[in-house]
Amino acid sequence: MSKSEPVAIGVSNLSHTFGDFPALNNVSLDVRPGELLALLGPSGSGKTTLLRAIAGLARPDSGVISFQGADAEGLSLRDRRVGFVFQQYALFRHMTVADNIGFGLRVRPRRRRPTRAAIASRVAELLALVQLDGLGSRFPDQLSGGQRQRVALARALAIEPQVLLLDEPFGALDAKVRKELRQWLRGLHKETGLTTIFVTHDQEEAMELADRVVIMREGRVEQVGTPAEIYDAPATPFVCDFLGHAFRFSVAVQGGSARVLGADVATKLADGPALAYVRSHDVAVAPVEANGVAARLLALRGSGASLALEFALPGLSAPVEVLCPRVNVAGEDFVVGADYVLTARAAHIFPAP
Amino acid sequence: MRIASSVTGESALVKYLLIGLALIWLAGFLLLPLIVVFVEALRQGVGAYLTALVHDDALAAMRLTLLVSAIAVPANLVFGLVASWSIAKFRFRGRNFLITIIDIPFSVSPVISGLVFVLLFGAQGVFGAFLVSQKIQIIFAVPGIVLATIFVTFPFVARQLIPLMQAQGIDEEEAALSLGASGFRTFCLVTLPNIKWALFYGVLLCNARAMGEFGAVSVVSGHIRGLTNTMPLHVEILYNEYNFVAAFATASLLALLALVTLGLKTLLERRGGRDVKI
Amino acid sequence: MNVAAASSRVFARAPSVLPGFGLTLGLTLTWTSLIVILPLAALFWRASGLGFGGFVDLASDARVVSALRLSFVAAIIGAAFNAAAGLLIAWVLVRYDFAGKRLVDAMIDLPFALPTAVSGLALAALYAPNGWLGAPLAQLGIKIAFTPAGVVVACMFIGLPFVVRQVQPVLADLDRSLEEAAATLGASRTQTIVRVIFPAILPALLTGFALAFARGVGEYGSIIFIAGNLPFTSEIAPLLIIIRLEEFNYQGATAIAVLMLLMSFAVLLAVNLLQSWSRRRTGGGRHA
Repeated sequence: MSKSEPVAIGVSNLSHTFGDFPALNNVSLDVRPGELLALLGPSGSGKTTLLRAIAGLARPDSGVISFQGADAEGLSLRDRRVGFVFQQYALFRHMTVADNIGFGLRVRPRRRRPTRAAIASRVAELLALVQLDGLGSRFPDQLSGGQRQRVALARALAIEPQVLLLDEPFGALDAKVRKELRQWLRGLHKETGLTTIFVTHDQEEAMELADRVVIMREGRVEQVGTPAEIYDAPATPFVCDFLGHAFRFSVAVQGGSARVLGADVATKLADGPALAYVRSHDVAVAPVEANGVAARLLALRGSGASLALEFALPGLSAPVEVLCPRVNVAGEDFVVGADYVLTARAAHIFPAP
Repeated sequence: MRIASSVTGESALVKYLLIGLALIWLAGFLLLPLIVVFVEALRQGVGAYLTALVHDDALAAMRLTLLVSAIAVPANLVFGLVASWSIAKFRFRGRNFLITIIDIPFSVSPVISGLVFVLLFGAQGVFGAFLVSQKIQIIFAVPGIVLATIFVTFPFVARQLIPLMQAQGIDEEEAALSLGASGFRTFCLVTLPNIKWALFYGVLLCNARAMGEFGAVSVVSGHIRGLTNTMPLHVEILYNEYNFVAAFATASLLALLALVTLGLKTLLERRGGRDVKI
Repeated sequence: MNVAAASSRVFARAPSVLPGFGLTLGLTLTWTSLIVILPLAALFWRASGLGFGGFVDLASDARVVSALRLSFVAAIIGAAFNAAAGLLIAWVLVRYDFAGKRLVDAMIDLPFALPTAVSGLALAALYAPNGWLGAPLAQLGIKIAFTPAGVVVACMFIGLPFVVRQVQPVLADLDRSLEEAAATLGASRTQTIVRVIFPAILPALLTGFALAFARGVGEYGSIIFIAGNLPFTSEIAPLLIIIRLEEFNYQGATAIAVLMLLMSFAVLLAVNLLQSWSRRRTGGGRHA
């Protein structure tokens, strides 16, 4: 990131351990104003810990977090003005929806507390924003999961936060509601322009929703970039692996290129052994006369627009799964047990460990 | 992963203040009364303590207390098993009402628990004339003490077993029956092992109360030395006679019983986990 | 067995392949009727024999009124102290770690396990004017033993476990993220405790209060040693029942007993209403 980029939240050299477990290991990250940032990684990668550290809910062992350039150490949660949406929403069950949303305003010190009427009108505004008009007098237990999620969001927005943090915002919802809410959240972000960070372990969710994605692993940041950057140029084998079905070949680099699955792929690596990752849909399947690596079709699955084909490749013990359109190049159906030729359309090459 | 939070705790000062307050309260209200029993009992030395315990009246009181609990506890054990089988394993109309009725003795003053038996079996009671004519004595005699004890300890076993057996459902019993086991064998081999910790627990609490009951027994006993005095009643008599060492000596045995009960209870809670509850 | 057959018919049930329903329910009903229902019925049958006028006469006797007042007021004050102390102790046991915590936790049930006569004896010894606590208190001019204050102290002793054991599990199950949510929304720790935690444990606290109160009203053994039992000052209702019985005044005893049951019932009903009100405010009340 160039020096001129403005920074809403700066994280530098953050480390935190739970007992012997390093949850955060020297993490640095700059969050730009107004962006929608995803923290993506498998469970235990430290993404939730990082989110909680930014919110001030966890105090890291070392490192600095700054808001608008000012060190946030010593800032109370009240002064951080962070809107946090918890994974299970953490709604106050003994309060109505409206009381939940207005909570952050009602607990302000007297001189900064809005009048009752002002709170009520702000709550009504927020209810409209999250499309829950008329449900203000319900209790959380009387709402669906998706509705509760939106109440939690409205409650976090009520304090006019400088940043919105969401912990696995769609984790507790079923697939259909999840998809709808994702679109809706994207729209809401556009509308409010609020700097937003959300945690997820679902790569599809991160790639679809976020302006930039931070990929974490074992308490470290593996790569930061736009979804396209990360997808097209994964920085590490882990990122490559995590972002989609990839299979791995041992290859040899010679003169700036390596031969992967019947194709010559350019690389900046020096001569020597290397690892090549090829994604399932970066493999072309051709009739046996073509150039490439011969492989036998073991099985095929799927009935939609694309098929998953399982090939046995010489030299690989496990079968390789290839995603391709339903009909092959020759316009014929695939035949299980027949031989085909595979070619890599693209591959990512990393130094051998 | 549970992540330690810096915002849901109190400052160390407040924390230690609260812990200190709680411990002082408990020391004053729970520990001191326990200690004073043993200190007063041993005030005139071990010799006087033992002499008080082997006195004829004291021994008679111990025998009666053991006898009463030897009748009341098994009676409520059997009742608890029978009642929880019918209430927990079957759904029928009036089930919750029946549970409420079984719980009544817990919410009635012990004195009233004794009174009701006097009203039934006392000389002026409902069955008084009949009992006198048959020369059967219940009130101011051992049967009355046993009845009153059964009444006050009535819910202990059942209320431990019913919620547990309800939660366990009937799947395992149905499986055993479908495999050809008889009803009784199913109960012994499937149901009983599943409820054994809760059963021990209920019996333990039932026994503690049976041996320690004072109010109800006091009403029906008649306080005849050597005949209808249980240990708790004996404590009162000695106290009223200003025989403090003997009173506290007898009380110390009951306090030991309470400590053993608490120890076993803690052990069972650790063993039985969530199966047992207060 | 007739009762078995009859009970099977009266208590219509869902079909089940499990055996023994008629037999066990029959035994349960028979035994419950003999041990619980019949004796209590005798009490109310006796009371109905008094007639309304007779009942009012007995109930409005000055000594009866003063004994009932003492039993109820002392039980309510004791339960209120227990609600406060029990809440504190449950909080400390759930939230903090300290040496000997498991032992302390086990000790909470001592008032349940200790025979009431022993508790009474111990409390009387402690709070007597020359006792460990009574002597220093006497220096301050405070008399506990042989006064109505002694009744309150006894109620505080026997009622403590009820509140702790009701509040403890609810507090332990309380989701910590609720407190974190309140903090991120700008609430101070005090505001979080008052507005978020307290409402969540209020139903359990009320239950504990009610149980402690009910126990205190009916308590006999641990009170009579410390109370002094002076008519019109420190004489509790259960003791007056026993005195009436010793005078062979069955009517008098019955009237006091029925009054006690009715008054306890009224208070418990009120607490229940309060509880279902506070539970309704939680929307569904899974915390009950």
